Amino acid sequence: MKDQGFEIISAAQDTGGEVAAGEIFDDGGATYTTIIDVQHTISSLYNFVNVPSAVWIDEEGKIVRYNEGTYAAKHTMGTFEFGRDDYLPAVRDWIENGADSKYVQTASAVSKNIIARSSDAELAEPTFKLGVYFHLEGDEQRANTYWEQAQALNPDSWNFHRQDWSFTPAEAMINWQEKRMGLGDKPYYQPLGLKKK
Amino acid sequence: MKRIAIALLGVIVMTGIEASAVTVLCNDNVVEVENTLADPTDLWVSPEDLTRINGFELKPEGACLDSICIPLKQNADSESYVRRDGQPWVNVSTLARRLEQPFVVDHDEGIWSFGAIPATRGSFLTSGMAPDFALEDRDGKTVRLQDFRGKKVLIVTWASW
Repeated sequence: MKDQGFEIISAAQDTGGEVAAGEIFDDGGATYTTIIDVQHTISSLYNFVNVPSAVWIDEEGKIVRYNEGTYAAKHTMGTFEFGRDDYLPAVRDWIENGADSKYVQTASAVSKNIIARSSDAELAEPTFKLGVYFHLEGDEQRANTYWEQAQALNPDSWNFHRQDWSFTPAEAMINWQEKRMGLGDKPYYQPLGLKKK
Repeated sequence: MKRIAIALLGVIVMTGIEASAVTVLCNDNVVEVENTLADPTDLWVSPEDLTRINGFELKPEGACLDSICIPLKQNADSESYVRRDGQPWVNVSTLARRLEQPFVVDHDEGIWSFGAIPATRGSFLTSGMAPDFALEDRDGKTVRLQDFRGKKVLIVTWASW
């Protein structure tokens, strides 16, 4: 697909670094650009609040499809299957047809899909990164202080919650369930907009 | 007026003696700053360190980065700029407030963490231009989005957690 002027950048949002995400990249045998994004820079820049997220960028640097839960292929986790088969064909259609692809969104649709952050949520960004700094310094107490602040400032960011919980795995599932229950039906992704077969 | 008075008081209180070193997080860089002015609330650095921190350069018209210029008087002390023993100092935290750039500080450890400058994000929020970044890939090579101009790019995020 590289020959057709197409690149994939896959960015693991993993403060745990190579130890946490490296093996998964290795197992996948990735031939595309792989980044372990310790500070969640991509999520921060693109206003992503969870993984997986994806963005399509055209030859001029303009976003032509934005933020969707992109389990691009079927995955199995034990007996639990998730993901979908119709995402990759959509990407292929875009590679072939460019702006004429029916999967390309209009500029106004893209802008509408980008959810601006409140000033509190903006403050959550450097606060989370301060937590990352202390975590990398081995100061877990301070890391937790700032990660908790970041989660309070932007409760919509699942990235902040789930990254924090990943360091206390025993409580992670309970935390996730509590948060999920509180959320009700509130969506945090744009609908994928692909027809289910 | 009250705010200016308080700020001026802060400036007067400052002895001009260099305070302890601080660490500044900005644009995902970790910048160690050896010399700062003593101030209980704000971060004062040399113009050279300002550039190391956030890329802003001190020019006659103000502190500037690309097309953004924050007017800064340099012939008198203010809440943004002072001279001590002939050496100029710039208030990074005041500039951040004027830019509506969020920041948080851990005073105990002397770590300042700055977020994005809203003025630099306008083309993303209003016209869907993809924000550029510079991140190391797993081979240690710097990856910039702008390096892929002329190609279609699919960015996906995932995580181990």
